[in-house]
Amino acid sequence: MKALRMAAVCLTALGLTMAHAAPALTDEILIGELHPLTGPASFYGIPESRGIQLAVEEINAAGGVRVGDQSQMLRLMTEDDHSTPTAGVAALKKLRAADVRFIIGPLGSGVAPALFPIIDRDSGVTQIVDGTIAEGVTNGRNIFRNQAAVSQYDLAVADLFRSKKYASVAMMTDRFHAGFMGTQPALSETLKSLNATVAAEEYYKLGDTDFSAAMTKLVSLQPEVLLIRGYPAEGALITRQARQLGYEGQVVWEMVSPPSTVLKNISATEMEGVYNCIPPTTEDYIALGQDKALAFDKAYQAKFGTTPGELSTLSYDAVYILKAAFEKAGSTENEAVNAALAAMRPEDVPQLISGYVAHQDGRLFDDVGQVNLRGAVSIWQGEGWVPVPDLAG
Amino acid sequence: MLDLFLQQTVNGLALGSTYALVALGLTLIFGVLLIPNFAHGEFYMVGAFLTYALVMAGLNFWLAMALGALAVIALGCLIDLVAFRPLRGAPPLSLMISALAASIILQQTATLIWTSEARTIPTPVTGVLRTPFFIVTWMQVVVMASLILSVAAIWAILNRTRLGLAIRATAQNHDAALLMGISMVQVRLATFAIGAALGAIAGALLGATFPIYPTMGVNPVLKAFVVLVLGGIGSLRGAVLGGLFLGLVEVMVAGYLSTELQDIGAFTLLVLVLLIRPQGFFGTAQVER
Repeated sequence: MKALRMAAVCLTALGLTMAHAAPALTDEILIGELHPLTGPASFYGIPESRGIQLAVEEINAAGGVRVGDQSQMLRLMTEDDHSTPTAGVAALKKLRAADVRFIIGPLGSGVAPALFPIIDRDSGVTQIVDGTIAEGVTNGRNIFRNQAAVSQYDLAVADLFRSKKYASVAMMTDRFHAGFMGTQPALSETLKSLNATVAAEEYYKLGDTDFSAAMTKLVSLQPEVLLIRGYPAEGALITRQARQLGYEGQVVWEMVSPPSTVLKNISATEMEGVYNCIPPTTEDYIALGQDKALAFDKAYQAKFGTTPGELSTLSYDAVYILKAAFEKAGSTENEAVNAALAAMRPEDVPQLISGYVAHQDGRLFDDVGQVNLRGAVSIWQGEGWVPVPDLAG
Repeated sequence: MLDLFLQQTVNGLALGSTYALVALGLTLIFGVLLIPNFAHGEFYMVGAFLTYALVMAGLNFWLAMALGALAVIALGCLIDLVAFRPLRGAPPLSLMISALAASIILQQTATLIWTSEARTIPTPVTGVLRTPFFIVTWMQVVVMASLILSVAAIWAILNRTRLGLAIRATAQNHDAALLMGISMVQVRLATFAIGAALGAIAGALLGATFPIYPTMGVNPVLKAFVVLVLGGIGSLRGAVLGGLFLGLVEVMVAGYLSTELQDIGAFTLLVLVLLIRPQGFFGTAQVER
């Protein structure tokens, strides 16, 4: 009787373990997604997660993914990384324990570098990074990114300086943003090569509220441009405090900044004329009247009752990129899928919304797994950002 | 760079006023009840969010701030009832852990209600005061004036009312106050109510200047503890002068050395004060028997 009871306990424990691991059925492909669903970055993370949900539902409703001669459904497993490295690594381990072999995310520039060494050594997983802009988090083998790298943001800054021939700049950078800090020296050199004097480089951190000391110093130098690199809540506050202290030069942002978030922290009047240098976002594609973006916007609003986030289209695109890779590979083996991703061309994924430009060899990803998603300049007019197609004007 | 000195001094005083405003309520609760109330940052946060919600619903800012403060007073008394009163006589560590737990619960609840997205309360006072020597926003002037008014109000309560006498007696000697027949329930309620109201007012005023989000109270409350150590625990004068001093140090370090050293400067100062004058500038040394 005792042995029987012990066996029952063991079987129950085994059953619970199996239930927790929940391996994918043979006719479905398990995709894991890692985004900040809580915490200060959740206003980016939740719309990304929703973009993925929407794509998965669309694909399944249309019959799933055609792998070889059979159709397979996508199943999504969502984990919250809180946009912190520790939670990110824990979430990755949880996904791997559940036998997830395809991962989309993360958003945080602190999280991606923490995940990179783990995934880089794990040939059993394929990752598409849809959020972070930090450098050095892809390898072109099993880690790819359909978001721009921060150096591609910087190209737009350089375009702006080249066009406007600004003579001097002061920079305010979030010193805990690995991406921006990583490219700061290179950007500084680029701007100097464009005959702009770098009057000062000052730093702040996420959550700071008082910038008066740095702004007093910067305003006294009267740089032609105040370049702010980081996140929108601090960007709004720095812009406001600089203006209050009498700064009359051009303010340039380099950050993903949804107008809804911006306007919660600064008035539209104070934002008028501020430039932003980032790749086009969901709102830009919608504003430009792009058909696929408009359809996405409609579907998103119908499902979630709210407008999509700035990065939602990237997450949506990432699912379709994976789908195309499964179909091209005719397999869900990681090695085959990785090879299909490495060889993929933008035209292989007709559902893509974002304006990826093929690399010189025609591929979507370059040798290190990075897409070509160049930064562009937009300007704040009225209640939001408006693309600036002709910089010379 | 010296031509900026006056401006940086005003910047420092403006920043220091915000620290002092937050520290006032904290020092009162700590000084009277010996509770290291980490949840004070959440009184500050809830005050800011309630004011924001009421202003967004169409209420006048000052009325919204007053209603927010009343709600936070009720919250403060509830926190005392649930988190601190059952631990009377417990070691300080238990009180600290209970305070941290209350703080986290309030943060998470606020996240569920208002989400974690940062926002700013529409400022009730706009514009900038420009003088030949410095520039200061009218809202900063309001914060500094509120600090003066708050100190005056607390001083009047403590020194001109029977309740204030009871609070001061409790702060000086809890057991003797009990023997004199002072109602501890009344003193606790009054202390928490005043402390919570000060936190809520600070939240509303600073929320019109800085972004508000559920974890916005963490950093100010840490700085407020630094202020308490600098000025001396339980000393109102210490909270005000400690706050102003800390603001000045931070701004001068950021303005004349490096913005990267701003926090390092503040916490180095904390360590120095602890080493040289552990009771703070205005605190009195206590002998343990």
